[in-house]
Amino acid sequence: MSELKEKGNALKAMNAKDRKRAIGDIMMNNAMFIIIAIAIVLIALKEPAFVSVPSIINIINLTAAKLPIALGVGGCIILAGTDVSAGRQVGLAACIAASLQLTTNKLFPEMGVQAWYVALAAVIVVGAILGFVNGFCMAKFKLHPYIVTLSTQLIIYGIILLYLQLGTNSGQTLSGMNPAYRELITGELFRIGNTVVPMYVLYSVIITIIVWVIWNKTAFGKNMYAVGSNEEAANVSGVNVVRTIIMVFMMAGALYGITGFMDAARIASVNATTGLNYEADAIAACVIGGISFVGGIGKVSGAIIGVLLLQVIFTGLTYLSVDQNLLFIVKGLIILVACAIDMRKYLVRK
Amino acid sequence: MKKILALLLALVMIFGLVGCGGGDSEEGGNEVGEVAVFWYTFGDTYLSSVRAAMNAAFEAEGIVYQDYDANNSQTTQTEQIQTAITKGASVLVVNIVDASSDDATQAILDAANTAGIPVVFFNRSVSEEIVSACETAAYVGTDYTQAGHMQGKMIGEYLVANYEALDLNADGTISYVMFKGQEGNMEADARTQFGVEDADAVLAENGKPALAFYDAANTSKYLLDQNGAWSAAQGQEHMQTLLSKYSEDNGNMVELVIANNDDMALGAISALQAAGYNKEGAKYIPVFGVDATDAAKEKIADKSMTGTIKQDAEGMAQAVVDIAANFQAGVDKFEGIDEANMVGTWRVNIPYSAYTGE
Repeated sequence: MSELKEKGNALKAMNAKDRKRAIGDIMMNNAMFIIIAIAIVLIALKEPAFVSVPSIINIINLTAAKLPIALGVGGCIILAGTDVSAGRQVGLAACIAASLQLTTNKLFPEMGVQAWYVALAAVIVVGAILGFVNGFCMAKFKLHPYIVTLSTQLIIYGIILLYLQLGTNSGQTLSGMNPAYRELITGELFRIGNTVVPMYVLYSVIITIIVWVIWNKTAFGKNMYAVGSNEEAANVSGVNVVRTIIMVFMMAGALYGITGFMDAARIASVNATTGLNYEADAIAACVIGGISFVGGIGKVSGAIIGVLLLQVIFTGLTYLSVDQNLLFIVKGLIILVACAIDMRKYLVRK
Repeated sequence: MKKILALLLALVMIFGLVGCGGGDSEEGGNEVGEVAVFWYTFGDTYLSSVRAAMNAAFEAEGIVYQDYDANNSQTTQTEQIQTAITKGASVLVVNIVDASSDDATQAILDAANTAGIPVVFFNRSVSEEIVSACETAAYVGTDYTQAGHMQGKMIGEYLVANYEALDLNADGTISYVMFKGQEGNMEADARTQFGVEDADAVLAENGKPALAFYDAANTSKYLLDQNGAWSAAQGQEHMQTLLSKYSEDNGNMVELVIANNDDMALGAISALQAAGYNKEGAKYIPVFGVDATDAAKEKIADKSMTGTIKQDAEGMAQAVVDIAANFQAGVDKFEGIDEANMVGTWRVNIPYSAYTGE
């Protein structure tokens, strides 16, 4: 509070020109918050139900569901990389999780329903292995991450298609999951009025805290930023670059695994299209939130803001009954404008 | 040293791949080439069941075949077809990607005619003029408007039978939401249109008012899968967002859910269940889909879904295999096909059927 007061006093002490610039800087630095606030106010003016309790909880739920994948992609972007295999990894994880939780299992008829932690462990391990492959190819063969993950995206899609052909399933949608598993993810955390806040919101919060600690409080996290901003310099100063890159991608893979684990229960119906294009939204969210493709720049809060902004705008446009075809144009414009503002912020600093 | 290693690795991979692909072509001998089957995508749930049935039918007839996945790209598919022709295919079976493009159809037919190879199109529509102008071409499909008509009729009849119970806010009209799978797809357009129109017709016959879209401000009167993938994930997200604004407490609850396919319907059911509907002992919002996938049948059996329209995957696969076999044998292309399903000399329609549980 006192800090704010100080800033206010400092502002008063300035002359008119400096004050104008200082206010401009403050607005620029908080541009995303301002955009979110303006969007909420505008939408709420036309459609008051947008700021009702059920609507706000809906936005929180959808944001929570998409946060883990965004945090995974975020780490890859901080390395000055990207990960276009994220969506398919989520899809594969959802298929694996679902296949271990089906009450009538057509993929593995003799196996039956497994405990939820078996499924969770399976998707995390598979995610970490895929992440290892991504990171290893990038670090050891010096391949551009876009190329590596584009390749693994295709490979993983092939694996998904083959996986769904197992047993007598012949590519069919996986549905009819163990109620205990669905309850674990979509069960009631608490309710406000008649609106249920599901358990996965809590999991998403826990995951976000863990990722925050890893990014900010561990040597690995600091190494990640160092490698992202200057690989050479990091190497010279004794950072194990190869190991850092591999670990970042493994962590991302584990996060995609968890996203898939939650999505299978949340949507309760998994097929080969599950996860399609998820990475596009996740990458857009990160970039909107200021996780820069330049590398070495970005915060957990940025990923949260990015996911939230996209969700607010999209839910809002649905509330406003905007023509479905226009949504694509709006989405493209938001990404452009947000990134342009964000880039200006860094240009000004430089 | 490194270069030699890389070369060796590449060679091993190539031999490995050749080894994988070798199995199919050996038994056929040299007399008759294989049947090349081109799928618009392996990712489609319904077509996966057609593919399983078709592969089984080919094997039962002792016909050698090869499946190709175009991964939703017409360019890929056209190139695959060119490759298959040079490889010596005897019949092309094509599930065309770009169903709205006559040029793509014509290009495929031209390439096949030049090589003297017959073509069987199936599932995704091709236009009558082009196919009927060619002796050695046929189309196995469905009347693409039929699923929508049948779904609409099914919905209308269900509503008339249960009207008072379904009209939750007792305002005399049923409010509905429609989930559309894709823009620019004739089947999706027809299902979106007739699913409501035909239901309205049944309601009108019984003196009930027409259905009302839940959001009067939405002029398109449907919610769309933004990825055009007819996916459960989008069905779930749209439904969850919708339920945050429309509820019984507000007196504007959506009283009917119509989806272009079963996957979207299943996604909507997941959101409804999260909001406390369509479970045992809970209130019930009727949900209708199309396809009759196994997953949807299970939901209908446990009473969380109302009805769906069955596309006969086995019937379609068998008709395609029969026609391909006729072409190979050099007899009339429609020999042995049920005449009731034949349309002119160019296509066979596999009928849909309503499914509300067994």
